[in-house]
Amino acid sequence: MNWKPGLLVLALLPLSAWAQPQPYAGKTVTIIVGYKPGGGYDAMARLLARHLPKHIPGKPTVIVQNMPGGNSIIAANYLYSSAKPDGLTLGTFNRNLPIAQLTAVQGVKFDMRKFAWIGSAANETTVLTIRSDLPYKNFDELRKAKQPVVIGSTGPGANTYDFPLLLKDLLGVNLKIVSGYSSSADIMLAVERKEVDGRAGSISSLRPFVERKLVRPVVRARSHDVDPAIKDLPVDESIAPNPRAKAIMALRSAPELIARPYVMPPNTPPELLKVMREAFVAAIKDPAALAEATKAKLDLEYTPGEEAMKVLDEVLNQPKDIVAEFSKYVKFGE
Amino acid sequence: MLEALLQGLLAVLQVKAFSFMLLGILVGFWVGLLPGLGGATTLALMLPFIYNMQPVEAFAFLLGMHSVVATTGDITSVLFGVPGEATTAAIILDGYSMTKKGQAGRALGAALTSSLIGALIGAAALALAVPIVRPLVLTFGSPELFMLAVVGLAFIASLSAQGVRGMVRGFIAGGTGLYLAMVGQDPQAGVARFTFDTLYLAQGIDLVPVLVGLFAIPEIIELVVRGSSIAGTTKPGRIEGALEGVKDVFRNGWLTIRCSLIGTFVGIMPGMGGAVAQWMAYGHATQSARTPEEREGFGNGDVRGVLGPGAACNSKEGGALIPTIAFGVPGSTSMAILLGGFFLLGLVPGPEMLTTHLSVTFSMVWTIVLANVITVALCFLLLNRLARLTTLPGHLLIPVILVLVFIGSYTTNSSYADLVVTLISGAVGYLMVRAGYPRAPLVLGLVLGKIAENYLYISVARYDAAWLLRPFVLVLLAVALGVVLYPFFQLWRARNRARA
Repeated sequence: MNWKPGLLVLALLPLSAWAQPQPYAGKTVTIIVGYKPGGGYDAMARLLARHLPKHIPGKPTVIVQNMPGGNSIIAANYLYSSAKPDGLTLGTFNRNLPIAQLTAVQGVKFDMRKFAWIGSAANETTVLTIRSDLPYKNFDELRKAKQPVVIGSTGPGANTYDFPLLLKDLLGVNLKIVSGYSSSADIMLAVERKEVDGRAGSISSLRPFVERKLVRPVVRARSHDVDPAIKDLPVDESIAPNPRAKAIMALRSAPELIARPYVMPPNTPPELLKVMREAFVAAIKDPAALAEATKAKLDLEYTPGEEAMKVLDEVLNQPKDIVAEFSKYVKFGE
Repeated sequence: MLEALLQGLLAVLQVKAFSFMLLGILVGFWVGLLPGLGGATTLALMLPFIYNMQPVEAFAFLLGMHSVVATTGDITSVLFGVPGEATTAAIILDGYSMTKKGQAGRALGAALTSSLIGALIGAAALALAVPIVRPLVLTFGSPELFMLAVVGLAFIASLSAQGVRGMVRGFIAGGTGLYLAMVGQDPQAGVARFTFDTLYLAQGIDLVPVLVGLFAIPEIIELVVRGSSIAGTTKPGRIEGALEGVKDVFRNGWLTIRCSLIGTFVGIMPGMGGAVAQWMAYGHATQSARTPEEREGFGNGDVRGVLGPGAACNSKEGGALIPTIAFGVPGSTSMAILLGGFFLLGLVPGPEMLTTHLSVTFSMVWTIVLANVITVALCFLLLNRLARLTTLPGHLLIPVILVLVFIGSYTTNSSYADLVVTLISGAVGYLMVRAGYPRAPLVLGLVLGKIAENYLYISVARYDAAWLLRPFVLVLLAVALGVVLYPFFQLWRARNRARA
């Protein structure tokens, strides 16, 4: 028997590894961020840009490109129609864009469901906090307040505004919302000055003030990974007086599971999406990334693309009357 | 406290910290010089590099870079009439005019020296404010901040030309600026105003493209029409020119100090933004004119119009650090980013920075001082060469300047729409110059519009009408009235003197 062909095959076997595709080797991946440098979305993207390369086979370079404008609608439009679906472009944008699509905000030219969803790099929980020296120690006492409690906010579209607004209009809590503050840090200064009595916001940004005992959390929105500090607080949806109010509050809270959304353009080949998803899972578990995130006060937590799609289905399939009612309260904004 | 002061100085003088500061200065030098590379954006891009540094080293780097940007930004403004940074636009009015008269060296000397003095005063304020900062910032609530914005708007009167007609034109320009500030989404009800249904205008009109167009383009047009070099036919002032500028600053010592204090004060007020201080200082500088003829000289090359904004621009940085460090409330975008740096290093802005970590706070003060001294020294060495650029024939420089203008406008948001805004502002600016309308009030209106509106709304929503009777509000109202009426007072006094 001639063993020479077998030897030839054996000798050439290692070459087959070489023949396997390494689509990312030597390439550059770009993360498009819908905001200017310095904000939370940008900081998260830059953190991921530093830690993703070692978890993508081929170790490509990952860079960040800022594309601010229209509250990240411009970036989302770009990712939807202009970016090439070759696996080399990712994007992150305002978590409330599904709501922008739902309420038909001017300028929206995308369908959230058609993006190739990698997932979310964090989730958020909104809480309402009030100054510790106020006589209301919990939500029940707050509801019985005779004097309006002044809540500072940045403006419609932010959770600093929307969450207390729903508490006020749907649950009848005696709140007065004063908006126009330039940042949430400004609002906390106003709390110290006793100009306002409290602020709503994500627990991750309010935590230092709660720990300092400047403010006390009294009520929260739904949460997927409840922070022990706020676990026992009443949830706004659970106290809703009717199914419609409950649906509206649920709609506001829904995008918080995909608080840091990451997508690839529509029609990105599934194998590339899979590689990217796995890279995200690994990068977000990476101890170095977690250490950096803790230092930068960013919460890092992976929500898979499939769960993101479920949230989108929930948001975008709401009946028209709920959407109409919702739009009366919650406007898409900064 | 003295001990912490000394410790802070020693910490900055360590080899590692000092080298990082020099590196920061190098980066900041170019960022300030080139329009379009914004100080704030570069700060954000530099943040990741500080992960593994010690706090003192990290701040030596970041602050070294940041403090230098305002100084070198003045250079581009004075030499080419192109704002190197949004915060160095006011200096163009007189600085560039001096350059056109061949006095570039003198203008630069004045700008750099006043920048240094401003920085020193701002740093001193930061050091001295430590015990009083918390009660100070807590006293200034939204009503007081609104009144401060009104005082700022009152400076439109000073920035306007002489006489009733001049003032009317000034207020028309200021009103236009206020209108432009209204474009975008209002923060109270989320209604889109004047956006013509475009995404671009939904977030309002950005300051930098408007600034760059309003000031740089009319000058370029004029340069093209004149056909000569920027310095015209006069022989440029050599290094003596720079020394003359330095002497000017000390000749007007009190004005320089007053403008530095204005800058520091505006910097301390959280939420006022970075661009306001320079205009208020410029307005105050014009008030030092003793006769109507002198007043006419402003905008045409009066050195006081250079040293006022130069000082304020740098002193506000020291001031802006105060609420950032003491409260974690940033006074401007750059401060917001610096705050991110705080968290990265594990420092929490607040009372701790003024007690346990006091030496770190003082090391920041020393960084500002040292970085500015080094930069100004460096700039003086290069002054001669830089000033010579203004004798080059215009047709060589115009393409370069145009490129800088468009890059400066585009890189703010990576948006082509910004270039359109720049071109439109350029056209408007040119028409304003020809028609004798002052451009400074328009910028002031644009900058202060949102601030004034927001704080007014908060004041009324929170206090109904009671806020009008708060003591500081009344004081500031009196100051605003004084500022508006001062030009008339100047005129009346000059007429009296002429009669006597």
